[in-house]
Amino acid sequence: MDDALIPEGAKRCGFPTFMIGIVIVGAVLLWGVYAMFLCWFKGLNQTNMNDYYGFALWIWADLAVIAVGGGAFFTGLLKYIFKVDELKNIINFAVIIGFICYSSALLILAIDIGQPLRGWFIFWHANVHSMLTEVAFCLSCYFAVLTIEFIPNILENRQANKVPFFHHLAHNMHGVMAVFAATGAFLSFFHQGSLGGVAGVMFGRPFAYREGLLIWPWTFFLFTWSAAAFGPCFTLLVTKITEIITGKKLVGDKTVHLLAKISGWMITTYIIAKIIDTIYWAWVTVPSMGFKLSHFYSNNGFYGYWILITEVILCGVVPGLLLINKSTRENPATRTIAIILGVIGVCLNRWVMVLQIMAVPVMSFDTWALYIPSWQEVATTILPVAYGIILIAVAYRYLPVFPQELELNKSADAAAQN
Amino acid sequence: MIENKKAHKFGMVIDLDKCTGCGACMVSCMAENNVPFKEDESNKKDSITWMRVYRLTNGKSFPETQIAYIPRPCQHCGGIGDHGHSPCVSVCPATATDYGYDTGIVSQIYTRCFGCRYCMGACPYHARYFNWWDPKWPEGMENYLSPNVSPRMRGVVEKCSFCYHRYQLAREQAIVEDREIEEMEYQTACTTACPAGAIVFGDLNNPAHKVHQIVKPDPHPDPLNHKVVGKSRNPKVFRLLERLGTNTKVYYMSDREWVRKAGDNYLKGEWENVKTHHGASSSHG
Amino acid sequence: MKIDRRSFLGLGLGAAAGIALSPVGVKLTDDSSIWTQNWPWTPVPEDGEITYDRSVCSLCPGACGISVRKINGRPVKIEGLDDYPINNGGACLHGISGLQYLYDPARIKTPLKKTGNKFEKISWDEAIALVAQTLGKIRESGTPESLGLITGADSGSMAQLFARFMDAFGSPNTYTMPSLESNLALTAAALHGADRRLGFDLDHSDFILSFGAALIEGWGAPVACIQANASRCERKAKLVQVDYRLSNTANTADKIIAVKPGTEADLALGLCAVLLTKAQISTGRLFGDVNKFAFATMVVKEYTPAKVEAITGVKAADIEALAMEFIKAKAPVAVPGKGRGDVGQSLREFAAVQTLNALAGRLNKEGGVFVMGPADYLNFPENVMDEVAEKGAGKDQLAGSVNELVDTLEKNGGLSALFIYNANPCYVLSNPEKVKAAMDKVGFKVSFSSFMDETALRSDVILPASIFLERLEDVVSGAGLAKTVVGLCRPMVKPVFDTKHPGDALILLAQAMGHSIAQSFAWESYDSCLGEVAEKIWENLSGDGYVVIDDRPPAGTPATDFSFLASGPKAAEVMGEGDYTLVPVDKMRLAGGSMASSPFAVKTVSDKVISGKYSVVEINPATAGALKDGDVAVLKTAMGTAKVKIGFNEGIMPGVIGMPRGLGHAFNNPYVAGKGVNVNDLIGPVIEPGSGLDAAFGVKATLSKA
Repeated sequence: MDDALIPEGAKRCGFPTFMIGIVIVGAVLLWGVYAMFLCWFKGLNQTNMNDYYGFALWIWADLAVIAVGGGAFFTGLLKYIFKVDELKNIINFAVIIGFICYSSALLILAIDIGQPLRGWFIFWHANVHSMLTEVAFCLSCYFAVLTIEFIPNILENRQANKVPFFHHLAHNMHGVMAVFAATGAFLSFFHQGSLGGVAGVMFGRPFAYREGLLIWPWTFFLFTWSAAAFGPCFTLLVTKITEIITGKKLVGDKTVHLLAKISGWMITTYIIAKIIDTIYWAWVTVPSMGFKLSHFYSNNGFYGYWILITEVILCGVVPGLLLINKSTRENPATRTIAIILGVIGVCLNRWVMVLQIMAVPVMSFDTWALYIPSWQEVATTILPVAYGIILIAVAYRYLPVFPQELELNKSADAAAQN
Repeated sequence: MIENKKAHKFGMVIDLDKCTGCGACMVSCMAENNVPFKEDESNKKDSITWMRVYRLTNGKSFPETQIAYIPRPCQHCGGIGDHGHSPCVSVCPATATDYGYDTGIVSQIYTRCFGCRYCMGACPYHARYFNWWDPKWPEGMENYLSPNVSPRMRGVVEKCSFCYHRYQLAREQAIVEDREIEEMEYQTACTTACPAGAIVFGDLNNPAHKVHQIVKPDPHPDPLNHKVVGKSRNPKVFRLLERLGTNTKVYYMSDREWVRKAGDNYLKGEWENVKTHHGASSSHG
Repeated sequence: MKIDRRSFLGLGLGAAAGIALSPVGVKLTDDSSIWTQNWPWTPVPEDGEITYDRSVCSLCPGACGISVRKINGRPVKIEGLDDYPINNGGACLHGISGLQYLYDPARIKTPLKKTGNKFEKISWDEAIALVAQTLGKIRESGTPESLGLITGADSGSMAQLFARFMDAFGSPNTYTMPSLESNLALTAAALHGADRRLGFDLDHSDFILSFGAALIEGWGAPVACIQANASRCERKAKLVQVDYRLSNTANTADKIIAVKPGTEADLALGLCAVLLTKAQISTGRLFGDVNKFAFATMVVKEYTPAKVEAITGVKAADIEALAMEFIKAKAPVAVPGKGRGDVGQSLREFAAVQTLNALAGRLNKEGGVFVMGPADYLNFPENVMDEVAEKGAGKDQLAGSVNELVDTLEKNGGLSALFIYNANPCYVLSNPEKVKAAMDKVGFKVSFSSFMDETALRSDVILPASIFLERLEDVVSGAGLAKTVVGLCRPMVKPVFDTKHPGDALILLAQAMGHSIAQSFAWESYDSCLGEVAEKIWENLSGDGYVVIDDRPPAGTPATDFSFLASGPKAAEVMGEGDYTLVPVDKMRLAGGSMASSPFAVKTVSDKVISGKYSVVEINPATAGALKDGDVAVLKTAMGTAKVKIGFNEGIMPGVIGMPRGLGHAFNNPYVAGKGVNVNDLIGPVIEPGSGLDAAFGVKATLSKA
């Protein structure tokens, strides 16, 4: 019944099957929306946050989705600025994932702040010294850029494209996309960095605090770098999941291998920098404030050295090595393991840089504070996931997202027809 | 700032050996500043107490045990080098908390705060509190609320202001009478309430004020840690987490070494080296 | 014009663009933020002119001077009054939160009558008529002595007015709730003669030996004591605290003498013995004192350092050294009354400590103990007593003390009516269930309470009292202070509810009863009564707000009667069985007596005292067995069982469990009541023969994981 909207020549499941899937995911979405309204109308007492945990699950989710959404800007940078043309096969999808991630981040922020109706004060009464101000400006601008990047793809829908104006608009937007990609990369560099800066500038919190370059703490650069490194992992992971669900090959191996390779080198270089940063922090910064490294990883029921080792070695060094090594990179199993580990690694890094900071006591007579999110927090955090699934499903169904789709599935279609 | 008038730097020194942990300062603060209360306040992680009294012990067993109570208002940090970039002020995205260069007081503008809580994360003293709930008073009880401090709405951060409204009232009076504010004219509610007289409040920049005389703040950066300015030259006086360079304006005083040591974090052996170091001048002389 | 899909779409997009570009969006955004800044459900206090008014706080016997800040006449803040002779500008947290009591959810808003199990609102006229009628019948039946009175206050015009009513009515059955003041009066009566008060000159002592007195946690006049302690620190005067846990007072002390709970009296007697043997204090020096030889012989024989060591756990050598240090100090003073010195005290202990002062020659000396006469500033006109009154008032009291009264009532009844003023026996006394049962034996209970507390809930008629901020009253300092100050408590605000000054209620009642009683209460109002009876000092009292009656040591040395101790009274036995001794712990931030804490005060209480619905008990980790910090445990005593949370505390003697006093209230104030357990529920009274005091300082207990 929606055949007219489906890209020409593409095979899609029947509309009822599609709707069943949407309804199931939609139910989860509604659960999240319900929790969201609870938070808005009853206030943040609906959460398990407290005065020790001003930042908690949501801010982690925010940082995490922005980090994994980094695939959009980095792929765009490579495609449009460094002219890595092979990536044209995945750039649309990277942009959609980025769009989902960034819109989710904005939504979570709108729930997270105590006075959502005053959220715009961050622009109106901006404090230029605050990392969060920088985040807000760059995040909003970059979201606009992502929208602009997403529009041509939407206009390529079979029906929309019939309108000459939309057709030409889409065409011309593709032509100038390099400008937006450059803008996006620039903005991303700053807001990814500023998100790292959010933690790094807190000189009252030795676990977070980092020295740095001029006004930017090292976490500024580490966050940008890690987003560029692990973002593509997430793009690849979502591509893989989409391929499994649709039962189709959507992106050619060559593109996947290339992106994986780039990601692998980025991860490896990032993790070297991260290790140097950690060592410097542990041996120089922290002792100068009177702390031993063990202070941050002992005397509590959750945060031990395991979290550091998991983040840096298991989910940093390992995926980096797996992806720079040709044989493991091109082996679908090890590659998938690597990208999964990578995504976990960057999320774990964001967790540590939000929640562990809040957990660690600073005053000698203070105590560790542990926290378990309320269902409202969990539901509102899952909400963007459900929303993302629906948006991807709709986009995949009605838009020519994957340029290689028809070509890669020709034989399969032929086989099916026979 | 008027150029020929020297800026104030209001601060306090709390004698921890005099503090009995009676809680009068906490209640005086709550009553003065319209702090709300709720049915269960036993979870101290969501209980708004601008002035909170921490209890710490020396860890020994009875009868060798010793307690120290540490009253903790907002520390009104001057930030690294005491340039006014407090941990919280520098991170607030909406300029809802600000550093008063003429008073040294860190303010909070409730109507501008949009509740991002970044400042709370940045504050190692947990001096900032979020209004998780709408403030509610039992029927009729809102009759005792003071108009000098506006009650806060749900969703914003609040904290101790060194009773800034008292400063404003005293300043207005002084301006009308064309004179400077007297030491006793501007005192915080906790200071005046303390039955043990453990809190001394005044202008750290004014040598005539008692707080200055007790603290003897060193105007020069600490030669051992250039982030630190205003270190006390009184060997009994210390600040909380001084090494971080927060440059707080709340000083503490104790004869007991274990109490002074608890004010900051020290690596093994460090305390023995620093416990006699008090500001640049004493280390030079 | 044809509207097709395309033009419709165009129109829609155009409209959207138009609205987006118009100021509407900006205006709405701005308006919505302004709305959040002025939420109608967030109160905006009315502004106005600031004035200050002075009064006296009567929440506790401390009687501090207070300054009330008002905005357009509306009280907004209570602070300590500068230069007031008791508290000199200081204040305690309960006094500062005084305004919360005005609007307390548990306040009684109108006179009430109990019908069935429910209270019914009635008018003042109805209430007074009802009480007058019921009391009238009792008088007509010729048993006026069957009216009882339980009161907390024992000085000042209100106490005298109630006493006058009881006299005029014809009943001797007045009972005072245990307080430090009443315990000291009892001690003075046993040792130095009737109608005396004891005051401890802490301000001038250079060696304070405190037998568990929580000097900075609410003992006596709390603010005055905290200030005395601060000045003590500055003067480098010594404080030695005899205690079984690290109270805040013990923490501020120069030295702690760790004793087993309940053996303070033995230590004091041991010190007396050392003074008589080692310090060469001859009994001859105690000239003119009664039974001094018998006492000396007894104490030297029974309380040798070795024996006392066995009882108290304090080393014999330390006992001797302490006694010598005490006697060698310039101005030593021994202070009795562990905790706040009100409940769970024994005359044996008070007398032993006071005897130590007497032996050391510290009576009526600067820095010692003052044995003072009554604060004699009121002159009531002669009471008019008819025949019934004469006859009734001449009868014996039903019991010797409020504790004995509870016993008697519970067993045999004996009162047909009971007044309760300034007292909450159903919460404060040990084993409140028994108190409630005793109350149920009384046919007609009239409460003069301001709050619907545990006792008011059990009353038949309530004549609600205005609180101290709404009324005029003379307030006499006492409570162990070495000076006597009468302060004037003045109305800071008109009564918020339909309440009356209890004095006015009593006058109205007396007048409604007619005859001789009405003649005894021939005042227009309480206010005019006070002006008349306090005429001697009224000018200064109303002008300055206070009058210092006395602040110097009384002349001469009073004689001491050693008979009570010479008779060798035995220590109170601890009830029950168990590995632990449960003791109540007084905390400054929790009111323990008839006055419940305010929401502010409860808010300041540590999570090591209240945790959600639980009381947290202090226990030394060394004797906690398998229990861990924060565990929920079942505490069991001979009187009852309670679920509590375990709070590890290195600062309590192993084997002792400390439970905060002042929790477990059961009335309608969710900010204060319904939290934790009333420790009195777990402790049974142990009545001391001779004094009638409830000497149960604690109880044996067992503890197991819930």
